[in-house]
Amino acid sequence: MQGLGVDKRSIALSVLAVAAIGSLVFGPAAPAGPERTSAGTVVFIHEQEPPTLRGGWVDNSLLATGLVTNNIWYGGQIYDGTARLQPRLFEAKPKLVSKSPQTVSFKYKASAVWSDGKPVTCEDWKATWRVFVNPQFNVVSRAGFEDIKSVTCNGKAGTIVFARPFAAWESLVSGGAYAAHVIRGKNMNQMFNDAIPVSSGPWKFQSWQRGIQLTLVKNAHFKAGPAMKLDRVVFRYILDTNARFQAMKAGEGHVMEPQPQLQIAEIVNDRDFKVQREPEFAFEHIDIQLGPRGHPALKLLYVRQALMTGINRQQLASALFRTLAPGLPKLDNLVFKPFEKGTYQPHFKKWAYDPSKVISILKSKGCTGGPDAPSDTNTAIFSCPGVGRLAFRFFTTAGNQLRTLAFEVIERQLKSAGIELIPRFQTAGTLFGGTLPSGDWDLIMFTYGGGPDSKITSNTLYSCGEDQNYGNYCNPKATAAFNAATREFDVPKRHALLNQGDAQLAVDLPSIPLYTRPKFVISTGGLTGAVLNTTSEGTPWNVATWQLK
Amino acid sequence: MLSYVVRRLLYSVVVLVAASFLVFTFVSVSGDPLAQLNVIPNLSEQSRQNVIDSKHLDDPIPVRYGYWVNDAVTNQFGTALQGNRPILPDLWRVMKNTLQLVLVAELLAILVAIGVGVYSARRQYSAFDYTATTFSFLGLATPVFWMALMLQVLVVQVFEHTGYKIFPIASLSSIDPGSGIHFALDRAHHLVLPVLVLMVASVASYSRYIRASMLEVMSSDYLRTARAKGLPERQVTMRHGFRNALIPLVTLVALSFGNLLGGAIVTETVFSLDGMGLYFVNALRANDPYPVMAWLMVTATMIIVFNLVADIAYGYLDPRVRYE
Repeated sequence: MQGLGVDKRSIALSVLAVAAIGSLVFGPAAPAGPERTSAGTVVFIHEQEPPTLRGGWVDNSLLATGLVTNNIWYGGQIYDGTARLQPRLFEAKPKLVSKSPQTVSFKYKASAVWSDGKPVTCEDWKATWRVFVNPQFNVVSRAGFEDIKSVTCNGKAGTIVFARPFAAWESLVSGGAYAAHVIRGKNMNQMFNDAIPVSSGPWKFQSWQRGIQLTLVKNAHFKAGPAMKLDRVVFRYILDTNARFQAMKAGEGHVMEPQPQLQIAEIVNDRDFKVQREPEFAFEHIDIQLGPRGHPALKLLYVRQALMTGINRQQLASALFRTLAPGLPKLDNLVFKPFEKGTYQPHFKKWAYDPSKVISILKSKGCTGGPDAPSDTNTAIFSCPGVGRLAFRFFTTAGNQLRTLAFEVIERQLKSAGIELIPRFQTAGTLFGGTLPSGDWDLIMFTYGGGPDSKITSNTLYSCGEDQNYGNYCNPKATAAFNAATREFDVPKRHALLNQGDAQLAVDLPSIPLYTRPKFVISTGGLTGAVLNTTSEGTPWNVATWQLK
Repeated sequence: MLSYVVRRLLYSVVVLVAASFLVFTFVSVSGDPLAQLNVIPNLSEQSRQNVIDSKHLDDPIPVRYGYWVNDAVTNQFGTALQGNRPILPDLWRVMKNTLQLVLVAELLAILVAIGVGVYSARRQYSAFDYTATTFSFLGLATPVFWMALMLQVLVVQVFEHTGYKIFPIASLSSIDPGSGIHFALDRAHHLVLPVLVLMVASVASYSRYIRASMLEVMSSDYLRTARAKGLPERQVTMRHGFRNALIPLVTLVALSFGNLLGGAIVTETVFSLDGMGLYFVNALRANDPYPVMAWLMVTATMIIVFNLVADIAYGYLDPRVRYE
């Protein structure tokens, strides 16, 4: 030892150091898992941390914020597991008192109180309306609120009179309300950056260690519905996908709501976990550019028909979700989803995959240079009279495995029938910020979000001259149907109008519906009661029923 | 020396200005920070315009850069686009976390590397030397993300087979970390895997430098003289050899430390550690130029400062080096 220059003091220090490191390893280890922290604590592992708790704002429109705040600014009604509105803080469903002018009434339950003991009243709803129509406040959408002429309050009861008809009034009225006594006179663009002081729902905000976790505890004042059985729910923010799944496997969380990711396949057959999956309202589609900056061939209906017939949408859905969501159906309607029984009419079903038909359509219009029969090894691409070669710039987001795979499948299918796709993968910022609104693309694949009552937004996406009609599609028949739907209060009639508009879309083909995205909830065997909700309510919609075994 | 330091600092200001303008330009042209809003149906144009006006997003990049400089100087880097929150408090928080990680990793790496390097040099071509050399090359060749993932998988496997989780998979602390010594222990427990990952490459690199440096010093004339004078081998090695062999390591560590303070981007991302690296990645993903710029200024300053420290330390430790 002397030769190495090591004395007794060094040895003692080394032993101490080893002991210290050992204590770190074996001391805090103990039986792992969230169970040891508290019997009444559920850990929700999530992929994204909200920047603030001011959700639905232009600077924060993340779903991650809604997961926390939906049970704080509790709704008069909320969407349940079957996407139907059910009264929560309201005594009963709000009523359409008059159609002209459109007048709606609602009443909060007597037991609806804020966590600071003050009652929830119509004044809270009125204060929320004023926030949404204040042009200085940067809310994401003012739709519906800006159509309201007046709100008259009488304690818990309220009457809303609309200046213009607004068909989706029920979900508008049923939304969560801010506490009037908290937001009075405040600059809402700066509110709720780090905390929310009150709650009208089953949980309330306790603490936020940024970059690590956000803790919500049971709201003892909540009497308007079933109370939480748990003491608290902790959102742990683990941004890396692999780490998130490994953390679940290592017992660091009870529940997660992952994006459709390949790692789900690893956990789906694990008996320690329950994996719930349902198609949600968001849907993947390909928009076709009909404006001046798109390929001239796309203005020809027969070319769009060839595209539609040349993509095997069912095979695509199966290839992408074979293990994650087997049996996911293709989408045949741009407004309604296959799980919306009674309203979903598969207008696009007539465009069945048939590569031979693609070739015959194009040849019948004088297109040349393509193959005589579909072939996987085909390299011959059609050229059509007056519009040139059928080679289209196909834009989508970069860095998304599912989209990359989807492009490969679609590109192979179309090429076998003589249509070429030129890949253009861009970051989401570039794609949605520059490319999409510029109209300088031929085909663009992305997801539109949505909810049970968002169907009337078809008007903004497919009606002539609308700001978000990026594909420049215009058919007065479709526009008339979608416009009328926004003013139709009768739900069956509204759905009929929307289907009428969709039927026209299926004729004109400004867009190709692909599939509804599957939504997933993964929970451990130790947690019961967590039920997937396909709307933006998020998995904690029924947190009151959650229990730990 | 003083004039050298002043000159270097003045150069540094120019470097910072040029770097900040270039990065601001690149981040600004790489995409629209409000892009995701375009796929939200019924978006309020008024709201979007409010943000565009308040952040001058419609102005040319040089003009926006001017606004940013003003904000950075007079308003502590201003606010982020996402969340409209002040940048500086978040930056301080992540800096502290990164400092904890990097300090521990570097200190441990230096200690281990010195031990391995010195012993390898003294036992050149021994079994230990060959083993250390092999592991050094392995450590240098192993991608950080892969090492991190393997460690996570290992912990999960141990947990699934024994029910014991030896180390946390991710994050900086437990749900209930406690306070005082309990908090410190909990934090240390969470940092074990990330520190290990960071240490591997550092130990591999530093130990090679130490070994090479020791071998060079040990064969120098003045050590032969020391031995000829009858000094014990331990004294020859530790007092005369080791101290001089450390000089290049000081430079290397100072430079490396400056770089790491910008955040161990891969390690922090894989382990979801709320540090500088993850802060930068998140800001970049959100196309938010303002936190990216704040990060850049802090990181660039650290690199410049530690480069200067390395130069000064080198000159101090080696009297043959003189700066004019």
